[in-house]
Amino acid sequence: MDAVTRLHRQLVDYSNSLFQEGILDNQFGHLQQLQDESNPDFVAEVVNLYFKDSERLLNEITVALDQQNVDFTKVGGHVHQLKGSSSSIGAQRVNNVCTAFRSFCEEKNIEGCQQYLQHLKQEYYLVKNKLQTLFQLQQQLLSAGGSIPAYEMR
Amino acid sequence: MATPLTLKRVFESICISSGIAGSWRSRRAPRGRRMIRKDAADQQQGDEFQHAAARCLSSYYSVFVARLAIMIMLAILIGLLTVLTWHFTRVYTTKSLDTLAYGLRYELLQRPLLRMWNIVNSTAEITAAQVKLSEYVIKRYNKPATQAEQIQLYEVMRDVTWAMFASRKALNAITINYKNGFVQAFHRDHRSNNTFYIYSDLSNYSIGTSGPYDSNLISSREGWNDQSIKGNISAIWYREPLDPITGEKIGKASPIPPDDLINIAGISQVPDGVASWHVAVSKFTNSPLLSAALPVWDPTTSNKSIVAVVGVTTALSSVGQLMKELVEVHSGHIYLTSQEGYLLATSTNAPLLTNSSTGPNLVKAVDSDNPVIQMGAQWLQSEYGSKVPPGHVIHVQNAKLGHKQYYMDTFFLNLKRLPIVGVIIIPREYIMGKADERAYKTLIILISASVCILVIGCICILILTNGVSKEMKLRAELISHLDARRKAEASNNYKSQFLANMSHELRTPMAAIIGLLEILKSDDQLTNEQYSTVCQIKKSSYALLRLLNRILDLSKVESGKMELENTEFDLQKELEELVDMFSVQCSNHNVETVLDLSDNIPRNIRGDPGRVFQIFSNLINNSIKFTSSGHIIIRGWCENLDTFKNAAEFPTDRKKFGRAFRTKLKQQANNAMNFREDNKLALCFEVDDTGCGIDQSKWETVFESFEQGDPSTTRKHGGTGLGLSIVRTLVNKMGGEIKVVKKNSPGTLMQLYLLLGASSESKQIYDADFPNTVVVLATVGSMERMIISQWLRKKKVSTLETSEWHGLTQILRELLDPISPVSSNGFDAPYSSREPLKAEMTNIKALIDPVYVVVIDIALLDLSSDLWREQLNSLDIFHRKAMFAWVVNHQTTSPIKTELSREGQNIVVTKPLYKGKMIQLLETAVRGKILGMQNRISSTTNEGNGEEIRGSIANYSASKHQKFRKCSFEFSSICPGESSSRREDLIHTMFRERHQIGSSRRDQPCSSSNSSSNQKRILEGLRILLAEDTPLIQIVACKILEKVGATVSVVPDGLQAVEALNRMLAAESSRRRSLLQGSPSETPDTPRFDLILMDCQMPKMDGYEATIEIRKSESEHGARNIPIVALTAHAMNADEKKCLGVGMNAYLTKPIDSERMVSTILRLTKNMPSEATGTTSLVHIRFMPAPQARHYSCMYSVCIEEQLRRKGGQDAKTADDDDEQPQRWASECDDDDVLI
Repeated sequence: MDAVTRLHRQLVDYSNSLFQEGILDNQFGHLQQLQDESNPDFVAEVVNLYFKDSERLLNEITVALDQQNVDFTKVGGHVHQLKGSSSSIGAQRVNNVCTAFRSFCEEKNIEGCQQYLQHLKQEYYLVKNKLQTLFQLQQQLLSAGGSIPAYEMR
Repeated sequence: MATPLTLKRVFESICISSGIAGSWRSRRAPRGRRMIRKDAADQQQGDEFQHAAARCLSSYYSVFVARLAIMIMLAILIGLLTVLTWHFTRVYTTKSLDTLAYGLRYELLQRPLLRMWNIVNSTAEITAAQVKLSEYVIKRYNKPATQAEQIQLYEVMRDVTWAMFASRKALNAITINYKNGFVQAFHRDHRSNNTFYIYSDLSNYSIGTSGPYDSNLISSREGWNDQSIKGNISAIWYREPLDPITGEKIGKASPIPPDDLINIAGISQVPDGVASWHVAVSKFTNSPLLSAALPVWDPTTSNKSIVAVVGVTTALSSVGQLMKELVEVHSGHIYLTSQEGYLLATSTNAPLLTNSSTGPNLVKAVDSDNPVIQMGAQWLQSEYGSKVPPGHVIHVQNAKLGHKQYYMDTFFLNLKRLPIVGVIIIPREYIMGKADERAYKTLIILISASVCILVIGCICILILTNGVSKEMKLRAELISHLDARRKAEASNNYKSQFLANMSHELRTPMAAIIGLLEILKSDDQLTNEQYSTVCQIKKSSYALLRLLNRILDLSKVESGKMELENTEFDLQKELEELVDMFSVQCSNHNVETVLDLSDNIPRNIRGDPGRVFQIFSNLINNSIKFTSSGHIIIRGWCENLDTFKNAAEFPTDRKKFGRAFRTKLKQQANNAMNFREDNKLALCFEVDDTGCGIDQSKWETVFESFEQGDPSTTRKHGGTGLGLSIVRTLVNKMGGEIKVVKKNSPGTLMQLYLLLGASSESKQIYDADFPNTVVVLATVGSMERMIISQWLRKKKVSTLETSEWHGLTQILRELLDPISPVSSNGFDAPYSSREPLKAEMTNIKALIDPVYVVVIDIALLDLSSDLWREQLNSLDIFHRKAMFAWVVNHQTTSPIKTELSREGQNIVVTKPLYKGKMIQLLETAVRGKILGMQNRISSTTNEGNGEEIRGSIANYSASKHQKFRKCSFEFSSICPGESSSRREDLIHTMFRERHQIGSSRRDQPCSSSNSSSNQKRILEGLRILLAEDTPLIQIVACKILEKVGATVSVVPDGLQAVEALNRMLAAESSRRRSLLQGSPSETPDTPRFDLILMDCQMPKMDGYEATIEIRKSESEHGARNIPIVALTAHAMNADEKKCLGVGMNAYLTKPIDSERMVSTILRLTKNMPSEATGTTSLVHIRFMPAPQARHYSCMYSVCIEEQLRRKGGQDAKTADDDDEQPQRWASECDDDDVLI
């Protein structure tokens, strides 16, 4: 009981902090709502997919920016894709950075792009870290016999 | 004064540019501040002034510095002038004085010299005379043989000589020295005034001894020198005093001591027989004596031999006397010296002789007792040497003797053997003293005058520049004020920009509030109390949103962010919709809303429809607010710019149109030739109401922000006063103008014109033609009736009007009842008296088989009792002959409508009746008539036609915007059908689910696990093709869609989407073929899709291209367009346009909002007949998939219908509904996703 309650509270606090810090937004809540018995690991699946996809995109962006002649449309496309998936998962900050990054791509500002790539990576690893922690907590809770608490939309 | 000013400026600029000014400034700063503080005695101005003054200090100091500079320059100038004046004056004075002084000196010196000359001359003359006399006497007594003769000779000689001597008082002595050594002399002692005769003792002389007188002897010179005479001790000299006048002997002769002997000229002095001169001294006088000696030649003998020597001595003291006199008058010193430097005469009393042991001697000038003479002589000696060459003249002007300056001049008098030098020494003081003094005084006067001028000049400068500095101060202040103002404006602008940027952020939460309230309102579980509270909150929220929108609009305009669209739109339709919208509100106020558009307005106009709509909605809203009864007329006509030249053509009611406007338009027409190139039209409008009116003084200010005609109206009518301000800015932005103009009747008349682009097609509104038609207008609104009838008459449509049921029946009977033969008698007295009506009647009678259209306002019926049924029935007899159109209002109850529709031929339109509706009505009527005739032939019922007509009107009303839903709803609710109840159930269900999605967390912690089965059913059976490359989004979207029951097929790119579509189309066509052939062969493996969700950016083929491809193949296959919804992460307006432009039906932004997606899909799929799913017939929401349709409309309509359901559909148009409607529109215009 106390272990479950503690874990439960921990999880709630943690997810609340994620929302408060603006790392996640309501879209993540929507995602959570889509999860049901028929597909209990929906969110985790989606998020893992997101990680895979994002890492691929980040690699491609990094490679593309290292080229002699940077193909900005290509970079922009990747960023756009990343933005789309980030917004879908609710990774708000990654999404915001993507928006700025895109504008640099349109300006063909290589320094800005490099800078924002670093920024993007930071944000991405931050959200990845946070989400992984979140899932770990959830797993712990589930294994302790609790149920995953609801996420309140803001 | 110009020069100093320019100088000042130059100086100023230099000062400002250089650092000097800065240092000056800093040095003088405290002082300046103190001064300013003194100035700012007025405490009220206080800090602000000081602040401003401190800022203009710099300019103040530059003025100060400039002043200083001018003063210094002035000082320099005046000083220079002074010095120059003084210098030149002095130089010229000195020169002229010197010249004068030279003359004076010359003159001064000349006189003693002349005197000297005179003396010398007279001496010479006397000597010569004496010589002649002597010669004569000697000749007479030539060769005195005897002693007696000798004596006689001497006696004669003595007398003669006395005579000579006596006649010349100035003579000192005359001596005759005979060859034999005898001497006779007369001597006058001037000091004691005694005269003596001196002769030598004769004993020593022998007459015969002539030896020494030989020429040989003469050459040896023995015995003839003075020494020999003087030293001739052996000779005894006698002296006897004589009476100076008579020459009588007055005393005894006495021998005189040798030292008393006077100077007697000897033979030695005339060695050459020429007169000789020398200066002698004697103890009898204290002045030197000038003695001349001449030999007396022997007149008898031919050979020259000297018999005697005559000597004449003259005292030079008279010269000295003269000099003294001269010097007394003038000043200075004059002296004469011999060439050797011995003083002969001076103007002083200094002794000329010194007594030495050997008797008196001459004094040299350098040894003179008089210091001036001594110094002068010394100076001359030092300057020119002791020996001045003869004839040398010296003029010295600045000889410094002692401590004084002197003029010194020397003159040379060349006498044989006695050259004389005259020296005059005049102190400079004497001549130049005055001049110098004057010069000094002049200088002092000049300097003091200069100082005075300087002081006055400085004061003048101060006074003159005071104005300038004041002006500069003021200017600096002004500049600082301007600066402050600009800053304030800038900050205001920032504010506006901020507001404009904040628009979305401000509106989004409002929209959320409203949306949530709507959801809350639809909750069944609310108690009545809660419900009314929620309604109140909603009303307040709308009010707040409206206010926000206005402020944001205004700020948008102010910050210059607002841009006008330029699309083609139907102005007439827009305005009609507007009038429709407001008429509901108006009818509650018992106000008639009339739209009166002139026929010359083109149908299509380029511009910003939303903003035009906003202008008029604001204006009408304003009018409604202040109009409690009467009418509101919106007049509009096109001012063709060409027709401005002949303004007389304008109809009378438009002549009022502001003269100023017209002239302005004319100007624009005249001076802008590109006007027609731009294809601009000037559209003029008037909004005329019968409200409380605006005071004339407020006509200008009502258009200002936060201004209202009367402050008290805020209390009475509310409002912020922003509406008209927005209107004006919008009108101005469209190149127009708005103003309030004078009106004869009470109320307000607003006039405005807009410059809008003309469309390429020049079709005009209301250009329909209805020949052979008779219209009977039986409506209550007099204004509306009048305008419509006038217009119809202009269209050559015979019109009869009445406002009463009785009158209507009269007219109808007259027109349509063929049984009544007494047509003219049929009218009652009031009607028969109307001559125009009668004339109209006769005109109508002349028509052959006209189409009769009777337009009856429902208000004409007596609805208070059941009498209206009777009235309706009484019209039945006319149904065969005329088309009846009923004008209903929104308060008309459904039983009446049902009753009206029972009569198949009835056309039902809602109020207000305007020209567009009239045309539609007439068209329908005419068509109905034709159909009716056909029907009669084919003997079918009238019901179908009625339906068709109704449908066409409904379509017309609903074709454009959802606000027409009211009227269309009414039509549909007339339609009896069992589907409506089911539909309401479904809507209700759907709403509940939506509601649960929004607030699921509140109800259950894990709603996702047990979501209601209803939710799944919403998109049940729908097949959706998702074209999306991002797997993540694929999953999410699939999940969302599947959750609501849809079947989703996913393709990763646009190309595959197109392929899938093509497969489907091919399968469908083959199926259709097989159906036709009668052999139903199933093709289950090719799925059919009801909708495509299309990502815009995809590999291989993006969403836009794919859409174009799909649309192309659809048209090839002749299939209907499948709804395509764009999915994009772009959130720009332009993207939406692009999406809609390529043929997509809707637009969703990522992240995917499940509610919005579902509602969009629902909207797009439900209104199309889908035989595949068979679900669409359940819900019939009447929204056309027009591009303008907004994705929230579904939601909104659902809300409305829900509400209708709730209120039993009877009083659907509640007050708040009416209220929110314009707002919805206003907000819709610029922000699409506000409300959801």
